[in-house]
Amino acid sequence: MKPSALKGLSVMSLRNRIALYYTIATGFLIAIVFTTIFFMVEKIVYKQFDDQIKKEISEIFDDSDISPNNFQGFDSFRDIDAEHNDEKGDHQHEEEKHKKKKLKLDPEFIQLVNSNGEVINKSASLSWCVLTFQPNQSGTNYFNSNFGGSMVRQAQVPLTNADGKNEGYLIVAVPLKNALIVLHDLKDIFLFSFPVILLPLFLLTRSIAIKSISPIEKVIATAERMSQSNLDQRIPLPFHHDELYRLASTINALFGRMQDAFQREKHFTADASHELKTPLAVVKGTLEVLIRKPREREHYETRIQFCLKELNRMARLIDQLLMLARYESNKMTPHIVVTALSPLVENVVERMIPTAQAKGIAITVNQENNAHISADPGMLDMIFENIISNAIKYSSSGSSIAIEVKHDEGNVICSISDQGIGVPAEKLNAIFDRFYRVDESRSSSTGGLGLGLSIVKKLADLQQIRVSVNSVPDTGTTFTLTCQTAESPYPIELPC
Amino acid sequence: MRLLIIEDEPGIAGFLKDGLEEEYFAVDVAYDGKSGLDLALTNEYDLLIVDWMIPAISGIEVCRQIRKAGSLVPILFLTAKDTLEDVVFGLDAGANDYIKKPFEFEELLARIRVQFRNKDRADDSLSAGSLTINPVTHQVFAGSTEITLTPKEFALLEYLIRNKDRVCTRSRIIEHVWDIHFDSDTSVIDVYITFLRRKLEAAGCGNLIQTIRGVGYIVRETGMV
Repeated sequence: MKPSALKGLSVMSLRNRIALYYTIATGFLIAIVFTTIFFMVEKIVYKQFDDQIKKEISEIFDDSDISPNNFQGFDSFRDIDAEHNDEKGDHQHEEEKHKKKKLKLDPEFIQLVNSNGEVINKSASLSWCVLTFQPNQSGTNYFNSNFGGSMVRQAQVPLTNADGKNEGYLIVAVPLKNALIVLHDLKDIFLFSFPVILLPLFLLTRSIAIKSISPIEKVIATAERMSQSNLDQRIPLPFHHDELYRLASTINALFGRMQDAFQREKHFTADASHELKTPLAVVKGTLEVLIRKPREREHYETRIQFCLKELNRMARLIDQLLMLARYESNKMTPHIVVTALSPLVENVVERMIPTAQAKGIAITVNQENNAHISADPGMLDMIFENIISNAIKYSSSGSSIAIEVKHDEGNVICSISDQGIGVPAEKLNAIFDRFYRVDESRSSSTGGLGLGLSIVKKLADLQQIRVSVNSVPDTGTTFTLTCQTAESPYPIELPC
Repeated sequence: MRLLIIEDEPGIAGFLKDGLEEEYFAVDVAYDGKSGLDLALTNEYDLLIVDWMIPAISGIEVCRQIRKAGSLVPILFLTAKDTLEDVVFGLDAGANDYIKKPFEFEELLARIRVQFRNKDRADDSLSAGSLTINPVTHQVFAGSTEITLTPKEFALLEYLIRNKDRVCTRSRIIEHVWDIHFDSDTSVIDVYITFLRRKLEAAGCGNLIQTIRGVGYIVRETGMV
C-alpha cells in the first residue's frame, strides 16, 4: 500500500473501516460464487454441444458401418451429408425427413481431412467454408474454434487403418452462436451486478456499524465534555451487557478514580495552604498588633515566645511536606539492610516515654527475640515514632499503648495498639491521606500536623512493609506492620 | 461596640482579641461553629468575624443560620480559602465582606470601620451637638477642645452617640460595650456615666447625656446647650 493510502486508512472512521473490510470480504466471496456459477454454466452448455457432437460422430460411424480405428478409405463414409441421403431407400424416407428437419434447426458441420489436413469431403451445410483442422488437438477433446467469423464447438476424430496409421480426421462442429450469447450475457450480468451489490452492501454495513458503535460515540462525547470542573460526568451504559457495556463501565470506573484523585489533590492543596497560611497569619497578626503600641517587656516576651512556637511548627510542617514530596518523586531511595527490630523499637519507645508520661499514658513493649527484617533503619524509626506519637496524641490520660512484635509464617508482625478515641470504619481508609484528620475541624489542638500517617504509609511502601489499621471508635486503634523476616546476620546467641 | 470572633485557631483568635480590644471593642471569642452560632443568636453583637473552616458547623452555615434568624449584623469572613468561587460563595451566603488570610490587621480594622460607617456622612466621625468623636484616632473634641477619655469611657460615649436620640437601656449598654465575661452588674454603667459627665462638663457639654430614670441613658442631638 502506498503511504498516502495507509494514511487515508488510518484516518478513516471506524464505521467506514468496518464497512470497507466487510464489503471487501463479501465482495471476494461473491466474486468466487459468480465465477463458479459462470464456469459451471459454461461447462453444462458445452457439455450439451459435446454430447451432440459425440452423438453425431457415432451416427456417422454407425451409418457407414465403420469405426475410427478401422479406416478403409474416405469413400466408405456414405452419410456425410444428410441432404444427400434423399437417394436412399423409401423405407428410410420418414426417418431421413425427420433428420433433415433436425439438421436445419440445429445445423452440424461435418468435414473429412486427410492426415495432412487437406479437405477430402465436407457436408453441404459448410457451403464454401472450411472447418479449420487443428493438428495439436487430440481426438477426445472438444474445443472452440473460429469458423467464418463465428465460434463453433468442434471435435476431430482421428481415423486410423488396421495397422494403426493415421489416415485422416473426421471433423464435426456445431455452431455456438446462441450459447455464446447466453454465456456472454451471463458474464455481463455478473460483472454489472457485482458493483451494484457491493455499493448497497457497503452502505448497509456502514449503517449497521454506525448503529453498533453508537455507544462509542457516547463515550467520545462524554470524554470530550470531561474537564477538571465536571469530573462527575459518566457515560450512559448501553442496554446490552456486551463488550461496549464493559468498555463504558470500565471507562466510568476510570473517570471515578480520576475524580477521586483530583478531589484528593484539590483537598491536599486546600489543606496545605490552610496549614501553612494559618501559622503565618498568626505570627504576622500577633506582631502587627504588638508593634502598634509600646508595651511592657513581659508582654513582648510572651508574644514573641508564642510567635517562635508557631514558626517552629511551621518549619516542622515544611520539613515534612518536603520530605513527602521527595519520597513521592522517588528522589530518596531506602537503604535496606538487615535490621534488628528489638533495639530499634526500644530506642523509639525510650524517646517517646517522656511525652507519654506527661499525658499520663503508659507504654508496654512485648517483643519476641531475634526479629530481624529487611528495612531502612532510619525510615523504620520514623514509622514507629509517627505511629506511637499519633497514638499518644489521640489517647487520654490513664490509658496505655501496647507494642507487640512477633513472628508469623516468615513475617514479622509489629502491632501498636492504643486505647484512644479510635476512628470510625468509614474514615479508616482516609487516615493515610495527607492532612486528613478524622475530626474535620482541622483543629490543631492535638498539635499534629496531619502528615504523620501519610509519611508512615509512604515510608512503609518504599520498604515493602504492609501497614494495616483496625479501629473501634472510643475503644482504640491498632496499627499492624507486616515485614518480611530477614536472616539474622549473626548467629543466634544462646543465653548462658 | 461588641464583636464576636468565631475562629478555631487560638493563635489568630488571640491576637485578634488583643488588637481589637486595644481599639476599644468588646470582644468575645468562640472556637467552633456551634458555640459561635449560639452566642451570635443569644447576644446582640455589632459585628461578627467568622472563619470558614471551623469545627461543628462551618462558617458558611453559621452565616446562613444567622441570616435565616433575621439578623442583619455585619459579618466579615476571615479565611484562607482564596479562590474567586470561594469569595463569591461566601459573600452570597450572607457575609458583608471577605478577608483572605494572611491579612493585615490595619486592613481588618479599616474594613470593620466600613461596616460601622454612618451612611449619611463622608467620614467616619460621629457627632452630637458640639461634640465630635473620631473612632479611628479615638479622639473626642468639644468644639476645638480635645477631651481625653479612657478606652471604656470612649466606648460608652461612642455607643451612646451612635444610638443618639434613642434610649439606651442599661442592659443594652452592657451588651454592646462590655464583653461576655463581665457579670451584668449594671451599676458599673452609672459609675462610668458619672466619670464621662464630669469630663464633658469640664469641656462645656455637661448635659449631653441625660438619664431616663429607671431605664437608662440617652444622648440627644437637640435640646442641648
